Amino acid sequence: MSHVLEVRNVAKRFGGVTAVDDVSFCVDEGEILGIIGPNGSGKSTLFNCVLGQLRPTSGEVLVDGRSVTGMRPCDLNRLGVSRTFQLLQVFPQLSVRDNLILAAQEHQGTMLSRLFGRPDAGLTADAEQMISFFGMSHLAGEMAGGLSYGQQKLLDAAMAFMAGPRLVLLDEPAGGVNLTMLGHLKERLKTLNSERKATFVVIEHNMEFVMSLCTRVLVLAEGKILAEGKPAEVRSNPKVIEAYLGH
Amino acid sequence: MSAFLQLLISGLATGAIYAIVAVGFTLIWQTSQTINFAQGEFVMIPAFFVLAAMKLGGLPFWAACLVGLAVSVFVLGVMFKQAIVDPMLKHGVLPLVISTIALSLLLKESAKEFYSSQAQPFPSLVPSVDLNLFGAVISTQSLLVLGVAFVTVGGLNLLLNRTRFGRAMQATAQNRSVARILGVPVERMVLATFVINGLLVAIASILISPIYLVKFTNGETLGLAAFIAAIVGGFNQVRGAIVGGLVLGVVDNLSAAYISAQYRGAFPLFLLIAVILLKPEGLVGRREERTV
Repeated sequence: MSHVLEVRNVAKRFGGVTAVDDVSFCVDEGEILGIIGPNGSGKSTLFNCVLGQLRPTSGEVLVDGRSVTGMRPCDLNRLGVSRTFQLLQVFPQLSVRDNLILAAQEHQGTMLSRLFGRPDAGLTADAEQMISFFGMSHLAGEMAGGLSYGQQKLLDAAMAFMAGPRLVLLDEPAGGVNLTMLGHLKERLKTLNSERKATFVVIEHNMEFVMSLCTRVLVLAEGKILAEGKPAEVRSNPKVIEAYLGH
Repeated sequence: MSAFLQLLISGLATGAIYAIVAVGFTLIWQTSQTINFAQGEFVMIPAFFVLAAMKLGGLPFWAACLVGLAVSVFVLGVMFKQAIVDPMLKHGVLPLVISTIALSLLLKESAKEFYSSQAQPFPSLVPSVDLNLFGAVISTQSLLVLGVAFVTVGGLNLLLNRTRFGRAMQATAQNRSVARILGVPVERMVLATFVINGLLVAIASILISPIYLVKFTNGETLGLAAFIAAIVGGFNQVRGAIVGGLVLGVVDNLSAAYISAQYRGAFPLFLLIAVILLKPEGLVGRREERTV
């Protein structure tokens, strides 16, 4: 069986700077892969290469064994690959409910159905379910722009799950989120992973969060894979400790 | 009292036209940062399309109106976006603004050069009859304008707030890159706002021309009025443009009658200054924050 995500020898150079240098790894169904590394180690660039926001200089990205290198993000989205953002990316003047409906509505229909089809594209029930799953029922009708930072992060995560994706890439989901909310987020992600068989790749700086959430961890330093393994192995790897503390 | 009612209704009718024009103005601003200083000329031109269709094409008035709407949508909507906005927006908002000012001059001079510099009569959609309502004399023209404006703005509101299309369009205006990632056809949504604007200005043109006659200079006052209406109501909201347009029409009419007809042109500007000083986000607008 093919891997849900396979990254083959991906490199990305910006002029003379090599941000990602010949990185290869696989993610299998049901895994939660954490990617950690010091600032500037190429984590976000790698993400952007996988998600089609950047075209890799060389190498290949495969989803379910099919090459998706350089595919547009919206087409990847239709293939069941979605993402959350390091910096908040919600629609501030739409309600929480409308944000969620929007996140899934473009997967169906034509221009005519946009005009004359059901206004909610039959997604209100899904949206409500997602809202209550993330414990935001009291916020459903609120404008997303009025939510707290942590709540917007939750909404961002919820939007990534609306279209029923198989693979979700989360870019620093824990950044700036308080401890209570963080515990809530982690538990929700674990539930989605076990109940919906969703596969995750998570970029995160919060070690505690990564170590307790992920099944496998990849350490990136200066654009290369430095170490890979179970959270506990990676944590005690001297090379990893040096990369974080040595410079 | 009856005089007041009369002034109020005719003011609302003028204001409704300002509102339609201002709504189009704010829509294309929201989706593509285009401040269209040719918007007034956009209202002046479609009446010429209709007249040309009648004179040159020999069409009856209603058919000419349909032709006028279609040509406006194509020329002032699609072509405006493809030929002017897309190439200029790459260079920034200011070059685009200057291009729209140039376009306004071009449209004005073309209308004068290729049609006529004389004011042309324009057929009315309804026979002009004065109705008596509680002692006030109300023209059928005013009622027609109010009715059509109400239906137009109402329809637009339904489109924006009650359809998937509208949600996608709002998403495009609020966060273009994420909308694109989620599969919203952003380019088509932006084009759609230009098409809607082309339709709105054509409707305004057909409504206002029987009252003001068709003249190449008509755009000057209308463009300014729509701009003021958008700012007074709130630049970043469709309902702001509606409120701004109606307020402006009424203030204009009442101040001319009760304060000074001579200074008529000044009162909308006083209103503009007051709003900018006291409530810069507009009467119903929302504050906009920008990171530099």
